Amino acid sequence: MKESTKMLLHYITGLGIVIAGGVHLFTVFFTGPYVQNLAFSGGTFSVISVYRNLLLAATLELLLIFVDYHALNGIRVILIEFHQGAKWEKGVSWVLAVTGILLLVYGTRTILIANALT
Amino acid sequence: MADPLIPQLKKALFGWFHPVKYSLEMWAYALQRISGIAVTGYFLAHIVETGNVVGGLDVWSIPPTSQAQDVWTATFRFLDNPMFDVGLVVIGFMLTYHTINGIRLTLTEFGFLQGRPARPDFPYEPKSFTKAQRALFWLSILFAAATAVYTINVFFGV
Repeated sequence: MKESTKMLLHYITGLGIVIAGGVHLFTVFFTGPYVQNLAFSGGTFSVISVYRNLLLAATLELLLIFVDYHALNGIRVILIEFHQGAKWEKGVSWVLAVTGILLLVYGTRTILIANALT
Repeated sequence: MADPLIPQLKKALFGWFHPVKYSLEMWAYALQRISGIAVTGYFLAHIVETGNVVGGLDVWSIPPTSQAQDVWTATFRFLDNPMFDVGLVVIGFMLTYHTINGIRLTLTEFGFLQGRPARPDFPYEPKSFTKAQRALFWLSILFAAATAVYTINVFFGV
């Protein structure tokens, strides 16, 4: 992938985070008592209720993908600005790509299982 | 290799934290990076934390709801600690700053709010950092401070 494509994706995911993250923060902070929204169940926007709502769970999955890419690409940019070299760049990219995939798998597991909890 | 890696990284890192001759644009840049790293740290912790909603690391199929609930309640109780709340206030500041300053950077990337090229004259202020951009930078600081105040209110009821 070209460097410019990676950065274009960085800006697109950034704007995606503003929207999906906005929805996420809205359900946690602006839909009722904060403590109730972080309880396991009980309210309309409690933890499990949010995961069971297909639309909100899909928003969380999108947010996970966006933040995963944006955060790790950001770290990559910082690291290749610290030090230049083909070997360094390749190593950094691989380590971060693997980290990103592991995080994505673990986060997706949480969303899928929480969505299926009865 | 011309330069050993570790001293070079050290030099690069300490360049950020030695802001003696920084212009406002460089402050914005350094803060964008620092806040990015801080929020990434929060993201990692948040993925682990929310993993406990379904029962933690070793759960890979649908567990009994009561088991998931017990693990989550224990996690929630562990996180109910003023130390973590202070951390979240800092993260709130960093996140808001990163968002609004990031919008400024996105606008710049796609060609908006750019300064005109001109002859460099004393005191050599960066032409790239236009008035509109400066306003957006201070707006991001203002909103970040407001977020910090709001989160203090949520967590500490002040």
